[in-house]
Amino acid sequence: MPPKRARAAKTTSKPARTEPPEALKPTQRLAGEIYDQLDRGEIPRMRLPLRTKQNLQFQMREGVWRLGRALGTRSARKLDGALMLLRTFYLVDFINEMARDSKTSTLRELYYISEGWEEGKFHSEDESNLLIEDLEVLCERLREDFRLHPEENGASVIGDLTIKETNRKGVVKKFNCRDDVGDGGYALPFNVEKEKIEFVGTNAKFVIAIECGGMVDRLAENGFDEKHDAILLHLKGQPARSTRRFLKRINEELKLPVVVFTDGDPWSFRIFASVAYGAIKTAHISHYLATPQAEFLGVTASDIENYKLPSDKLSDQDVKALQAELTDPRFSTQEWRSEIELMLKNGKKAEQQSLAKYGLNYVTDHYLPEKLAEMGIES
Amino acid sequence: MPRTLAEELASKQREISVAEFFERNRQILGFDNPLRALLTTVKEGVDNALDACEEARVLPDVLVEIAKAGPDRLQVTVTDNGPGILKREVPNVFGRLLYGSRFHANRQSRGQQGIGISAAVLYAGLTTARPAHVISKVREEEAAHVLDLLLDTQKNLPKVVADDLLLWDRESGTSISLVLKAKYQRGRQSPYEYLRGSAIVNPHARLVLVEPDGTRITYERASTEIPPVPKEVPPHPYGLELGELAYRLKLPGPKTLGEFLAKQFAGVSSRAASEIVGKAGLTGKEAPGSVQGERLEALLAAMHEVKLLPPSAESLSPIGPVLIKRGLRNVLGEVRPEFYAPPVSRPPKVRGGFPFLVEVGLVYGGGLPADQPIQLLRFANRVPLLFQQGACAITTAVQTLDWRRYGLEQKGGAGLPIGPALLLVHLASAKVPFTSEAKEAVAEDPEIDRELTLALQVAARHLKTHLARRNRRAFAQEKFDIILKILPKLATKTSDLVGKPVPDLTPVITRIMDVVNLEEKVEATPEGVRLDAEITNYTPRARVLELFVELPAELFPLGRFEPAPDGTDAELGRAWWTLEKLPPSGRTKVSATFPAKTELEASDPSWFVAGVDEGHLLGAEPLPGDWDVRLPRAVIEAAEAGLEAPPAGAEAEVDYDAAETSARSEDDE
Repeated sequence: MPPKRARAAKTTSKPARTEPPEALKPTQRLAGEIYDQLDRGEIPRMRLPLRTKQNLQFQMREGVWRLGRALGTRSARKLDGALMLLRTFYLVDFINEMARDSKTSTLRELYYISEGWEEGKFHSEDESNLLIEDLEVLCERLREDFRLHPEENGASVIGDLTIKETNRKGVVKKFNCRDDVGDGGYALPFNVEKEKIEFVGTNAKFVIAIECGGMVDRLAENGFDEKHDAILLHLKGQPARSTRRFLKRINEELKLPVVVFTDGDPWSFRIFASVAYGAIKTAHISHYLATPQAEFLGVTASDIENYKLPSDKLSDQDVKALQAELTDPRFSTQEWRSEIELMLKNGKKAEQQSLAKYGLNYVTDHYLPEKLAEMGIES
Repeated sequence: MPRTLAEELASKQREISVAEFFERNRQILGFDNPLRALLTTVKEGVDNALDACEEARVLPDVLVEIAKAGPDRLQVTVTDNGPGILKREVPNVFGRLLYGSRFHANRQSRGQQGIGISAAVLYAGLTTARPAHVISKVREEEAAHVLDLLLDTQKNLPKVVADDLLLWDRESGTSISLVLKAKYQRGRQSPYEYLRGSAIVNPHARLVLVEPDGTRITYERASTEIPPVPKEVPPHPYGLELGELAYRLKLPGPKTLGEFLAKQFAGVSSRAASEIVGKAGLTGKEAPGSVQGERLEALLAAMHEVKLLPPSAESLSPIGPVLIKRGLRNVLGEVRPEFYAPPVSRPPKVRGGFPFLVEVGLVYGGGLPADQPIQLLRFANRVPLLFQQGACAITTAVQTLDWRRYGLEQKGGAGLPIGPALLLVHLASAKVPFTSEAKEAVAEDPEIDRELTLALQVAARHLKTHLARRNRRAFAQEKFDIILKILPKLATKTSDLVGKPVPDLTPVITRIMDVVNLEEKVEATPEGVRLDAEITNYTPRARVLELFVELPAELFPLGRFEPAPDGTDAELGRAWWTLEKLPPSGRTKVSATFPAKTELEASDPSWFVAGVDEGHLLGAEPLPGDWDVRLPRAVIEAAEAGLEAPPAGAEAEVDYDAAETSARSEDDE
């Protein structure tokens, strides 16, 4: 049931990476709207869908959470709003300039470019990233269409997966992510689209996405990928867009199940939510990034009890995070509610590496096989 | 024959000299540790110097030098330009406890008990065995006398150990130098703080402190007015107690009760005296000493009951609003406070037969620390109180006021408030009720407390007004940033992108601002001190406005107004104008010029505007309801014509950027 490009054909998976004029037309439209407001003597404003958890709506067809219909107003009546409007057009200007000069820029470079924008200068990279997302929403384009991309962050893949990658020089390289790469695995580029990466084949039965690098190393050293026909994917905490997009492609194109293995704490629940349901910040492109079939393996609140794992007390912030999750529509299922409430009741959290209490092989010989069997991935 | 126990004890009893008593009770006088001993010594020296100069009507120039004189030893020298002390008096002034001219006087003075400086001499002798080195010269003599003296603790008598003459390069003055066991450090209870405090409340004095490391701190004179010497006045009947009255009745003097009442008390006229004796059921012809028992009580009750003239403030020396402000400014200048509240000087009141009054100064903002309790500077008779803050009635009054109502933080509405503020509280009285001989804290007293609270409330209300004004300014600043810095750029950018000319922004500007703004400015110009107010109509429609200014009444007559006001009321310090009709974005100006050096603060004038409602007015207040002013028809008509509903819809919208902030903290990527 590929959830793809039904209604959202315009914005969906790898939407037309159109030629500059076409891609930038919507930015012209934005400028025109503001100009007309000024010309009519109206206070300039834009209306944008609110990217808040209250405005997440489940899309049956795609199986992911996307932005609902609640709109907010960005108006020059307020200083913050006026500044963001001004920045929007500095940004549009900059994008057009890059298109003329055939350049691209990293998000961080953009942040520094804004040094020259006087009042429009960003105060943090968060601010510039948010504005780029706003522009994606307003123009129904992806940031790559605006010639903006993140730095290579190298989330890694280890396992029997053969791919063809077109490298920087345009040369197509074909390799296997277990046999042809070093101990660090295959580092994902920021662009994981078809024109860059093509799947050739795999004998793996499933993908295991892992929060911490230490655990990836443990599974690799213990030969888990070979013994269990698994592809190991390092999430590196909250996963980048490319990592989530890559997972979605494997899941859909190679029909491999995805399980997510994280620490047992409130923040890890959010990592899973952004992999499987869609993140709030990128809810406008959840249909392009989220893998609704991904399943949470652990560490669960009950694992902490059942496996008697060494644990830490929940901090005040942890408790607040769990309580916030109870009002997050993405966690509104019975399963999640009882999981969150159990963690709140026990007041404990544990790292995935706490399984080492029982020895270095315990996680690969006992814990994972037991959990995978429970989930029906392995028998 | 064996001696009886009583005889034995009696043989051991002998008179304990005062000096000996204090030797055993150093802490009473503030000499219980080396830090405090130094402060007390400096304090007594400086207080004496200031009092002496004031009495001689000289602008004080006081030099305090603290130098190392061996391990744990410091040499303290206090030199003044006062009248000097006659040679025969020098030993008594510095070498004898409880000797002084001020103890019996019913007027305000810094030193009261006459133990201070000689106690320092005593302490120096006890800790280093070094005599006090005194130089003193009176104007009438050619040379200065130099005396070294010690205090004989047995006899409470001075012992002169050296006596010489010196050609001193000053007309008159006194210098005392002591070597004592002491320790120097800056801090809350240090000579540094003491001099700083003294400089604030004595702006007529020039004070110099030389610290042991050679650092020289100078507080220049900020005023050349020598405060008047408080006059001695008899006690006032209000607050007088029975014992005190009985004691006074027995003193030799007036022959009749009527004469006694009229001559021995302040505020009692002969008519009031007859009224008192009438109320007490007496004739007024009695000999004062004969009034006893029930008649005494009746007399006191009548004295409290009859309406009397208020106590004269002549026995008091208030600093006064002008000098409080000048003193604070002189010392706090480098902190650049954003606000000096108009100082409060309460009228004198009576307590226990003596007048007292309370003064309060408040400073806010600038470099004052915002996250700490406010600095409280306590003063009694122009002397800084540095110890026992917690036990002082002044502190209690500050702590019991709910400062949250006035814009400062305060945990639970009690205790020292938190914020970038400094509070000066001065209690002046012929008899300050201290909690102990060390004169470090004012004792609780309901009458004093009431005055303290009233004065603090006035100062706090000024602060509240200032903060409200400031908040509105910040709000206005935001709007100005939008229309001046951001909007023009947004217009240029979008015009460039669509390739059209930049549109006229006036309608948008007035919609964003939607206020009538008044901007005031005070500056010194060659013609004098100039006060400007510029009124801009940043609303989308034309306005006819009535502008009022209210100035301190004493300044009002000095101002030359431009244009000429349409009306004035000099008594209330008010002037007003009906301004020409202002179209959207239109502006006009009024100004007033005062003679050079007029002390005019931007916070002194208050501006009021009629013809626009409060929600659309910045930098000025709407006309107070109780002014009872008849506005010109043009103003009323223009205001009524503009009564239209605000644009609908705008307020109900969700602010995207405010909502976004919550999402930012929630998640991820």
